[in-house]
Amino acid sequence: MRARGIIKPGPAQAPPLRDVAESLIAYARRCGADEAEVSVVDGREFNVDVRRGRVETLVEAGSRSAGVRVIKDKRTASASSSDLDPKTLRRLVRNAVRRAELGSPDEYAGLAPMAKERVDPAGLDLYDPAIAGLDSRAKIALARETERIALRDKRITNSYGASFGSNEIRSVLALSNGFVGEYAQTYCGLGVGLQAGGTDDRVEDSWSSSKRHFGDLETPKAIARRAVERTVRQLRPRRVRTQNVPVIFEPTQTAWLLGFLFGCVAGTAVYRKATFLAGRLGTRIGNGRVTVVDDALIPGALGSHPYDSDGLPCRRTVVMAKGVLESYLCNHYAARKLGLESTGNADGGGVGPGNFYLEPGEGAVPPGDIIAGTKRGLLLIRTLGHGLNPVTGDISRGAFGLWIEDGEIAYPVSEVTVSGNLGGVLEGIEAVGDDLEFHSPITGPTIKVAEMTVAGQ
Amino acid sequence: MPKIAPLSSIPPPARSSVRPLTYVDHFRLSAADLRAALGAALSSGGDFAEIFMEHRSYDFITMEEDIVKETAEAVSLGIGIRVIRGDRTGFGYTNDLAMDKIRQAALTAAAIAAGRTARTLPRPLRDRTRASSRYLLRRPASGASLRRKIGLVREAYGAALDYDPRIVKVKAHYSDSLRHILIANSEGLLVRDTRPMVKLVCAAIAEANGRRESGYCGGGGRTGLEYFDETLEPRAIGAEAAREAMLLLEAVDAPAGEMPIVLAPGHSGVLIHEAVGHLLEADFNRKRTSIFWNKMGRKVGSELVTIYDDPTIPSFRGSYNVDDEGTPPRKTLLVEKGVVRGLLQDRLSSRLMGGAALTGHGRRQDYSHWPLPRMANTYIAAGDDAPEDILRSVGRGFYVASLAGGQVEDSGKFTFSVSLGYLIEDGKLAAPVKQATLIGTNIDVLRRIDRVGSDLAFGLPTGTCSKEGQDVPVTDGCPTLRIERMTVGGRT
Repeated sequence: MRARGIIKPGPAQAPPLRDVAESLIAYARRCGADEAEVSVVDGREFNVDVRRGRVETLVEAGSRSAGVRVIKDKRTASASSSDLDPKTLRRLVRNAVRRAELGSPDEYAGLAPMAKERVDPAGLDLYDPAIAGLDSRAKIALARETERIALRDKRITNSYGASFGSNEIRSVLALSNGFVGEYAQTYCGLGVGLQAGGTDDRVEDSWSSSKRHFGDLETPKAIARRAVERTVRQLRPRRVRTQNVPVIFEPTQTAWLLGFLFGCVAGTAVYRKATFLAGRLGTRIGNGRVTVVDDALIPGALGSHPYDSDGLPCRRTVVMAKGVLESYLCNHYAARKLGLESTGNADGGGVGPGNFYLEPGEGAVPPGDIIAGTKRGLLLIRTLGHGLNPVTGDISRGAFGLWIEDGEIAYPVSEVTVSGNLGGVLEGIEAVGDDLEFHSPITGPTIKVAEMTVAGQ
Repeated sequence: MPKIAPLSSIPPPARSSVRPLTYVDHFRLSAADLRAALGAALSSGGDFAEIFMEHRSYDFITMEEDIVKETAEAVSLGIGIRVIRGDRTGFGYTNDLAMDKIRQAALTAAAIAAGRTARTLPRPLRDRTRASSRYLLRRPASGASLRRKIGLVREAYGAALDYDPRIVKVKAHYSDSLRHILIANSEGLLVRDTRPMVKLVCAAIAEANGRRESGYCGGGGRTGLEYFDETLEPRAIGAEAAREAMLLLEAVDAPAGEMPIVLAPGHSGVLIHEAVGHLLEADFNRKRTSIFWNKMGRKVGSELVTIYDDPTIPSFRGSYNVDDEGTPPRKTLLVEKGVVRGLLQDRLSSRLMGGAALTGHGRRQDYSHWPLPRMANTYIAAGDDAPEDILRSVGRGFYVASLAGGQVEDSGKFTFSVSLGYLIEDGKLAAPVKQATLIGTNIDVLRRIDRVGSDLAFGLPTGTCSKEGQDVPVTDGCPTLRIERMTVGGRT
């Protein structure tokens, strides 16, 4: 390895993020803003890509940014900058206050009142001091090792490379109502992408692990094996004729389905009527097996955080309980528009998830049993393209899968599509796996949907 | 029969009154400072070093619920430094332009070379900034009043809302940006560019009998506010979004399975972007992950198919005076009569492919990313067939009227998502069809393109392409096309 020249970042200068934020709030008030909100973020990034054993790219950088929102006479204007020169920031604040006059008065505009309770960031376990102390060479070695193990398998014919990345982020949020929040968090990830087969019949897949704590990452061996297995199982695919069959979603696939559901229960989409679930609060939208939760307070999980961008404490919200839509996920603004309470999901100007997942519940079974109990159907392993319409709930995506005959995996399938409607999918969930893991902020276990259209020949 | 408006945008003709935007130097670094930074970048033995500096300012306006809900302004400032040694790239960036921070970023990037001393010294810088510009504009958005811009948003919003009482919600969004960049490299290149961009989009939701549908339309490019008078009026953007939403209220489910496909001109260029463009980006071929890597000079598609990528079309969203490595771009032939002829190159791939000619397709999202070979304005050249004849030639099939994007993987499997289609019955458009995804393998589809219309047009000029986490503006174009058969992801 020839990485001896790699420079370690110098000791981080104590960043006066809080001072920057508080002084801008004071300045916005002096400029005539009725209310103001300032967020400042300071991040350090490391990333290495290794391909065919050689370091391909190595990135190390630090950057800061600030965001400002001002409200004057119920009119909102905002600004953001990666230039933290005080002169630039003050100009942006002045412009924002002036620009607010050109907006329309909005009776729902305004900061959320400061909450009585607060979540202690320390209890959420978001920061791993080990990440700042990691040696670049060790990080490069992890990526190399992961790819090396994967390439030992003779069925693997090419590599997209392996990567290790880590981020350390400090954020401050200050509001003119007196709220000031501050916390640090870390992320790290290790993954590899592979191809198998010849030039004209190749298949691809990847696997990665991302965590807040370095010690929780899957090992290079585990990641490499998973990536190899996911890739080679697709070799020599067939096409199938167009038909309606049960579709089993692997956890990676349940994750996008739930991401789609998240977009459909976001309060901002509800007041815009940009979701088929607008007006459905309190009604049954799925069957009794479907319970969906958003919980930002799971210690160490990727989607956890102490407060949202409105400065409200994060919490656990039951979104769907046994098929009934119990709650939309709202920021302060959407909640006021809808006459509801904020669920602490404000994220910039919109709504973001904490840890949004489908609960396995009491009837959960091992995913192998779900496959064994399926006479004929598609195990969905990968999708391509967009094809999700929140306004109608319609789903139509390019698909890769494994065909199931008599409870066993028969052969891989590609160049087909799966289609249906999210409402129908939630009604049609016949089985839920016991394999929920918090790999990403939006996650779920294996699920089996009674029927979707698989279009092929 | 419903009317299909391709809504293509023809760039305004060049006018003598058009002058390039003034370059404003936000970086205030002398040529000596730049050379010193390049020297630091090469201090560990790198072969090549490059500085990319950027100052970008944006304006945004959002209107929804009948009010101008929010206006925003953003500033992005930073410097990215890249060092190449053989096939390895080191990269550092900072948004603090103090000389010591720049030097630190340069040393971080330099470390990739892992040597003790410099092997190459940076050459003296020579400014190669072009005197002329491809960004034709008479009324720069950056100098216009916010009131005027709000007027455009209100106009689009109002046109959508007034289109029909069944339009229940509208959202209109305007943005513009002005980007000053400076590129300097160790080979002595120094080049500056000032890139404008405007964009106005509108989304409408129609509701009737308990059913809701949405429509979308947008326009813009590297031009000024005159675009919204001369090329595409805000009213037309709003009305088109509403028209699409209303049509979808009557739409039937898409059919499922293989069938003949006719693509409307313009926006359907997304098909070529996905099926061909990405897999002819040089990096995927150098790494041999693309299905095309061993097919240069080989026939992969129908004789009717000729494909170009042209970053030099005036004022298009995907156009530029120089790419993000300072290379003047050129119109690049990718496929000629079905034969693979060229790749989209950037510096790194060109070096590693034995000095292949640069095509000016090295692009990056911003200073915090390194360049990759990317598309700009990709299109399939016009053929000879009359569009009406193509439609008439299909007994039963699927007509793709507008698209909402696509995706491809290196094996050539690709999808594109239709937001509005029609059934074709007896050579005529029949019922409108709801969204569906089409899937195919690029080489199969290229072979099955069996009619190409004479009506080349470019699609809704608001497209953005994502690759490896980097977004860049692009345009796609195509004439009316017939594909013998392709799988439609509808329902049975």
